[in-house]
Amino acid sequence: MRLVGAELIESREILPGQWIQAYHAPGLATGSRAGQFVHVRTNDLAGMVLRRPFSINTADQGTGTITIHFRTVGRGTEWFTRLRSGDTIDMLGPLGRPFEVDPRSRHLLLVAGGLGMAGVRYLADEAIRDGRQVTLLFGASSARELYPTSLLPDEVEYVVATDDGSMGHHGFVTELVQEYEAWADQAFACGPEPMLRALAGLAATRRGRMGVARLGRKRGAGKADATGSPAARRKAFLQVSMEQRMGCAVGACLGCVVMTSSGAPQRVCREGPVFASDEIDWEGGWSR
Amino acid sequence: MRAKRRVVTGPGLPAPARRTPTVRKRKSAFEPVRPTPPKMTIVPAPDYLDARSIGVDLTVDIGRGLVLPNPILVASGTFGYGIEYGDVVDVNRLGGICCKGTTLRPRIGNPTPRVTETPGGMLNSIGLQNPGVDAVVEKYSATWAGWRVPVIVNVAGESVADYVEVVRRLEGVPGIAGIELNISCPNIGKGGLQFAIDAEAAASVTAAVRRATDLPLLVKLSPNVADVRPIARAIAGAGADALTAVNTLSGIAMGATRDRPLLGNIYGGLSGPAIKPVALRIVYEVCQVVDIPVIAIGGITELADVLDYLAAGAIAVQVGTAIFADPALPARLVDELADHCHARGLTSYRSLIGSALPQRAGAPSSKGVEYRP
Repeated sequence: MRLVGAELIESREILPGQWIQAYHAPGLATGSRAGQFVHVRTNDLAGMVLRRPFSINTADQGTGTITIHFRTVGRGTEWFTRLRSGDTIDMLGPLGRPFEVDPRSRHLLLVAGGLGMAGVRYLADEAIRDGRQVTLLFGASSARELYPTSLLPDEVEYVVATDDGSMGHHGFVTELVQEYEAWADQAFACGPEPMLRALAGLAATRRGRMGVARLGRKRGAGKADATGSPAARRKAFLQVSMEQRMGCAVGACLGCVVMTSSGAPQRVCREGPVFASDEIDWEGGWSR
Repeated sequence: MRAKRRVVTGPGLPAPARRTPTVRKRKSAFEPVRPTPPKMTIVPAPDYLDARSIGVDLTVDIGRGLVLPNPILVASGTFGYGIEYGDVVDVNRLGGICCKGTTLRPRIGNPTPRVTETPGGMLNSIGLQNPGVDAVVEKYSATWAGWRVPVIVNVAGESVADYVEVVRRLEGVPGIAGIELNISCPNIGKGGLQFAIDAEAAASVTAAVRRATDLPLLVKLSPNVADVRPIARAIAGAGADALTAVNTLSGIAMGATRDRPLLGNIYGGLSGPAIKPVALRIVYEVCQVVDIPVIAIGGITELADVLDYLAAGAIAVQVGTAIFADPALPARLVDELADHCHARGLTSYRSLIGSALPQRAGAPSSKGVEYRP
């Protein structure tokens, strides 16, 4: 975790209301991994007292740049769109724990819903760099909201679903998953919670049958890894990147928790944002 | 086997646009080509000027042996257990750390969402999520004992017996410099606030804890009362060593679809610059009616806020919400306060305290609460 000044290099509205900004921040580009995020300060401290968390959309160590992808939803995100090239803002990062890809996984299924693309986009780069095959399933409300193929690596298989059927599959992106589930060794998802919950349901039905589970892992061999450890997550078929309203983003304020199946809330900023799907209590079991 | 589809959504652009690396133009042809200078600035960057080295005394004597190295503390709930910010903050530059509210038994806290930003502030309803006093002592006290900065444990409970038991378990633990009684948390159903809105209840819990411990005892006041002065007097009379003013103001935010309030707990506590005038008024009032030190808290984001609270009679301040945006702020305020005193030829910051208080405390009002219209 570092606190760095990041200089805006390029700001682009890629879709109506959706922006990608590139920042020169070598201290963040180096050593960050897919799934991690940055916590960015607006310079309007009297009006906006909280930083804004953004997934690291892509990172390029060679040029020392990272990009963030966001939708303008309020005063904070609008403030970012008014920045000009050369402006320097204050970023805290890289924060959180990254996606854990099993070294034996060859076929990665990425599932993104809407802005969830920002959560898994970096993983596509990492996976292709490591010689894995990537299929990216993307769900959006309509063709207008589809993430441009020109911003994806050529190697990625890109399949889309739209709610109104204006492009690709007519329906939810989760309905596409069955078709690829058998092919995939591991799956990684980011998006609205109902989407993640549906995927977790699908993943639960296939535990131990396919994918990594059959790649030469002996049943009962060795000790089980502690829940939430990187090793345990690496063995999970589905890892999800969770979203929650965030305060400090370093684990101090306990604002951004999610309920886990062990009954203890876990911090999205510290234990997450990436969790194995079976770590999460999808019913939101706050006993009150 | 598997039908692969490739959906092209745009006009078939040739190549994915690489994130264009900026070509940094040299200012002149004579300038030697150097690798891109690192843009990184790690905070804390400069070696700080020790307040003592410029002849300013910033130490704060709270009483009962608790001497803070400087009057800038970090507020409970905003700084975890002191370790979360890692290398970004040098804790030993702080005047004190109030740790996350600690209860007898572990608490899972309130349903989410738990935080939201509001104009000039934020609402939180964490609900005192914490692992319980025994786990806190086991996990963190050894670390705290190695620090120069005093760590004050914020204690919350549902009953007087709870408070007493927690404090008993903290008594004598190395690394724990004091207790801050949280009798004013607005976010838990049972207990919490009920002690802070009634002078008798506040005095009884303070007295009970006082009997149970020799640790320095701070009591945190709630702003959610009509007149805080009788409560402050009662707490001082019951043996508190200092008062902390104030906790968050109770509030709600509305969800985007307006079918229910946004926070999982419905109610949250408002903090940040938005509450500073309220907190300043309460500090100003309390400092006129009690003889024990008052530690101010509420919306501090710059040195001017610190000076305001000192002028209103506070002996020290706690920085809270602003840490989220600027983790380096508390340490910077220490330096700025020392510089401020130095520039005015003061040898101690203490001459700033209470400069705005009336020379003699006015007679108690017969009309009740003055600030009401």
